[in-house]
Amino acid sequence: MKIYTGGGDRGKTSLFSGERVGKSDDRVEAYGEIDELNAILGVVTASLPVDQNRIREEIHDIQKDLMIIGALLATTPDAPHFGTLERIGRDRIRDLESAMDRMELELPPLKSFILPGGSMPAAWTHVARTICRRAERRIIRVGEQGMINIELEAVQNLLIYINRLSDYLFMLARYCNRVDGVPDIQWKG
Amino acid sequence: MSRDSVSKAYRAQIIDRRWLSPTTFELGLRRPSAFIFQAGQFIRFRRDDITEIMERDYSLIVAPSDPDIRLLVRDTAAGGYSTFLGKTEIGTALEFMGPLGYFTYQSDARPAVFVATGTGIAPFVSMARSGISGFVLLHGVQTAVDLYYEAFFRRLALRYVPCLSITTDASSPRDAFHGRVTVFLADRLPPGRYDFYLSGRREMIRDATLIIDDRFSGSRVYSEIFY
Repeated sequence: MKIYTGGGDRGKTSLFSGERVGKSDDRVEAYGEIDELNAILGVVTASLPVDQNRIREEIHDIQKDLMIIGALLATTPDAPHFGTLERIGRDRIRDLESAMDRMELELPPLKSFILPGGSMPAAWTHVARTICRRAERRIIRVGEQGMINIELEAVQNLLIYINRLSDYLFMLARYCNRVDGVPDIQWKG
Repeated sequence: MSRDSVSKAYRAQIIDRRWLSPTTFELGLRRPSAFIFQAGQFIRFRRDDITEIMERDYSLIVAPSDPDIRLLVRDTAAGGYSTFLGKTEIGTALEFMGPLGYFTYQSDARPAVFVATGTGIAPFVSMARSGISGFVLLHGVQTAVDLYYEAFFRRLALRYVPCLSITTDASSPRDAFHGRVTVFLADRLPPGRYDFYLSGRREMIRDATLIIDDRFSGSRVYSEIFY
């Protein structure tokens, strides 16, 4: 697959739906955050212990979801092919919730705020969580500007998914520490 | 990203080869029954040699409803995969992955302008054979011998503009534009908002995109790099 054309050399880019927009456009910012989140999840995966295949597969599925979300965000709602794009279904939200329920069973109860850190995979997962929250803020911003239609079920599911994903990543960070035998760092303010 | 088609591995037999010019041919393959695609998509051949893994992409030039698969191949005589496809015996089975790509027609009220260089015309052949019409087509080639599908597109296009970049000879169409497709875009296409579909050389796509930014603000751009 050929990657570069040079068509963006003067600061514009093509959306998936074909429109030419500035690279500082809020929509580009939003799917750029999703891209950054996807990249950092690659780092999380690379730092996992070799025996954590289940988590590795979960993250791989999340990365595929993020590609779908990126394409949705890069497509204007009135574009002819918007309706043919893949969507995030409720089943994927339920998958995240089930994974959180599963991890919670193995974790000690949370009694105070914790500081991001611990093992390397946990620390990277906390970074991913903050990027996920930033992505969520950017998506909401483009929604407030009317650039995505938050009335659409596809967009509502996307927002729920991203919100749930941040929670999942918080839980995963704690779980990674648990797997590595590293205690959560309690915040004693 | 589309819900409509999922890429898988297939095996298909070569059924014929039809030369369109001294260097370019159509390759026919028997279509696997489960193979579904959209006009504008491509397939990928993969060959594992001792020294390297080679992957080559070819756009489909048939409609999704056609019984067989056909590809447009230019043999650059460099001994690569296209040369292999040009010489391999009829009846040989080839493995491919597909369908791939997102360069599909998005119907809209805006006029569509298809811009191709060389064999980059392939996805537009598939789209036209699928029933899409009423588009403007600029086909950039060096000489008239490479204006594959000229008669076909003259029937279907709202306007067909052969763009000859190097030489003109007796076989050149009388209405040919003598210059690159990008020069036509910059100087001849009336201002407006269009849906541009760019398919072909990387340099053409870059130059055309920048011209579109300057001259056709508010237009959409879809592109597919061929070589």
